[in-house]
Amino acid sequence: MSKITDSRLLLRADRLVKHFPVRAGVFRRVVAQVKAVDDISFDVYEKETLGLVGESGCGKTTAGMSVLRLYEPTSGRIIMEGEDTTYYFMPALKAQKYIRDIYIDRFTELKSKGGSAEAAIQSFQNDFDRKIAERYFKEFNEDRNAFVRSMLSNREEKRKAFRRNAQIIFQDPFSSLNPRMRVRNIIGEGARIHGLATGSDVLDKVADIMTKVGLSKDHMSRFPHEFSGGQRQRIGVARALILNPKLIVCDEAVSALDVSIQAQILNLLNDLQKEFGLTYLFIAHDLGVVKHVSRRVAVMYLGKVAELADKKKLFDDPLHPYTVSLMSAIPEANPEKKKQRIILQGDVPSPINPPSGCRFHPRCPIAKEICAREEPQLQDVGGGHFVSCFFPGQLKR
Amino acid sequence: MDSKNALLQVKDLRTYFHTEDGIVKAVDGVTFDVYSGETLGIVGESGCGKSVTSLSVMRLLDEKGEIAGGKIIFEGRDVMAIPESQMMKIRGNDMAMIFQEPMTALNPVFTVGFQIMEAILLHQDVNKEQARTMAIDMLRKVGIPEPEKRVDEYPHELSGGMRQRAMIAMALSCNPKLLFADEPTTALDVTIQAQILELMKSLQEQYGMALVMITHDLGVIAEMAQRVVVMYAGKVVEYAEVLTLFKKPRHPYTWGLMNAIPKLDEDKEVLYNIPGVVPDPLDFPDGCRFNTRCPLATDKCRKEEPPLVEVEENHTSACWYVDKLVEMIKVSRAGEGA
Repeated sequence: MSKITDSRLLLRADRLVKHFPVRAGVFRRVVAQVKAVDDISFDVYEKETLGLVGESGCGKTTAGMSVLRLYEPTSGRIIMEGEDTTYYFMPALKAQKYIRDIYIDRFTELKSKGGSAEAAIQSFQNDFDRKIAERYFKEFNEDRNAFVRSMLSNREEKRKAFRRNAQIIFQDPFSSLNPRMRVRNIIGEGARIHGLATGSDVLDKVADIMTKVGLSKDHMSRFPHEFSGGQRQRIGVARALILNPKLIVCDEAVSALDVSIQAQILNLLNDLQKEFGLTYLFIAHDLGVVKHVSRRVAVMYLGKVAELADKKKLFDDPLHPYTVSLMSAIPEANPEKKKQRIILQGDVPSPINPPSGCRFHPRCPIAKEICAREEPQLQDVGGGHFVSCFFPGQLKR
Repeated sequence: MDSKNALLQVKDLRTYFHTEDGIVKAVDGVTFDVYSGETLGIVGESGCGKSVTSLSVMRLLDEKGEIAGGKIIFEGRDVMAIPESQMMKIRGNDMAMIFQEPMTALNPVFTVGFQIMEAILLHQDVNKEQARTMAIDMLRKVGIPEPEKRVDEYPHELSGGMRQRAMIAMALSCNPKLLFADEPTTALDVTIQAQILELMKSLQEQYGMALVMITHDLGVIAEMAQRVVVMYAGKVVEYAEVLTLFKKPRHPYTWGLMNAIPKLDEDKEVLYNIPGVVPDPLDFPDGCRFNTRCPLATDKCRKEEPPLVEVEENHTSACWYVDKLVEMIKVSRAGEGA
């Protein structure tokens, strides 16, 4: 664990929520909310890979997309490199309101409770909020408008910097590449937009990056359909990589590929991580793949994080009954090991109307009465092993 | 095993598709037997011809496809010689099939019950009411809760796992002797996959049918099959009992495939990867079709096609250099240990 605390925090998702409205009727009234991601928090450290694993509909992709603001989160904060990036992509007025609600009002309240600005500053546990509070009280002397103005300044540049630093690789290499664009434009577009290169330098850069991801630079002028699935995924990797990002969200980046090609891409991602010091948020449903690439793994179920731990801890000693059953459900490529599996009953419930209490309780083999009543919180049970269960470790494989 | 007792014998099957770009030899010389009550796994990557093999046996190829050679013998009858009218009686009754994507395989405008009853009414001498009762029974057997209610629901009202159960109910409604399952759990989540695999196993025990499990997932194969056919580019490259295959793979492709999967119970920094890509089916390489990606390939492999030969009892492999592979596996295992 020491290694993790040593390395710098790159990304923090803080109480992230994303609900999608369900509209129905003549007036398209909002009749329900799909609670795709419902209050999850996780940290990603520099140069590590955090695996986000779960079954379809658990919210793992939504979480990744919300981090990148390809979906605007319903609430919660996305902090990257010590900067709150949440309001970067909001409309101006909404961003103002956000800053007032999240920072100014909270600071004012804490000050009146604590009696002094210093007390308010010290009441924050985490460095990030404390730093902002310090700025608000000391640098801006509680001048609300100046504070908001300063936060909102240069939003365009901030947005661009964020886009440059955080990139994505999509699942389906067939639909994520524009069929009418040549590969050199697909890969080079980002570099051109962000002004990382101009004119023929762009092509040099494209050629360079194509070689790095194992494509021949002679194929630069081809169209996506001229490539195989694995090669297209390499194009997707190159497209993300050309901006020299810090964080890459890999959204099921190898799920659509055949086993032999999947291994090629996984090895490539690994090599690139070492070479460029990349950080991955690796979203996948395949536990084997996630185990292979990740340093830490978060298991999601129905919009919540069920368990989050160091890879070794999670796989050697899973504590949440969902994690245990998930691992037991995977058919292993070893016919001698016919294991006694835990077979979960029923389907994943609908995220529109999730079960009360612990969301896993209707399918949980060890659910007790309290599980239906109260919602367990994600708690550290030691050494950075987080689990949200009232009876961690009681279901054995 | 004596292939005379086999329920299904496929001998040197060749299925070609005539496309505008040329002839696609999707299946090019595939031989295997299926015995009553057993599970045969067919494993391979996309485009290896595993699905086309099953469609050929069921005679469900579209007009572009043609069985260009070989023999399919089901219960002693030559399937290719059976007239279409007879074939309709066999299909669904004696051999049935379940598909990967239950949403596209089920008709969205008819209720699940109607679709199951359709099969029953076609093949069995019962009236509508009896058929409905049988359909409800079937739904109950495959573990669908409240089958009396579900029987009148449309496919979109069911979840993915439930749809696949309904598909299985339909396939088994006439108690077939042979069931093809083409990637039956690929579209499902792992916990649902575990439910469906368990269900298929218990139903197989109950009905004593033979199951041909077609999948790309070696995990599913290890879980379900007794014997395995490994296919690559339209050919069988290895054919063995499941324990033998996983313990002693005798074809470089099988070995590569097994080492390319990240496994839960081991930690590897680098996965073995089979270099390159599956060759274009319009233009397969000469000689061994795996030669473009094989670490052991020599000039001989590029010129002469290796025959499928017995390397030991009930274990065949199509490779010129089985001995070299054994050596290579030894070296690589020693390397892992160090």
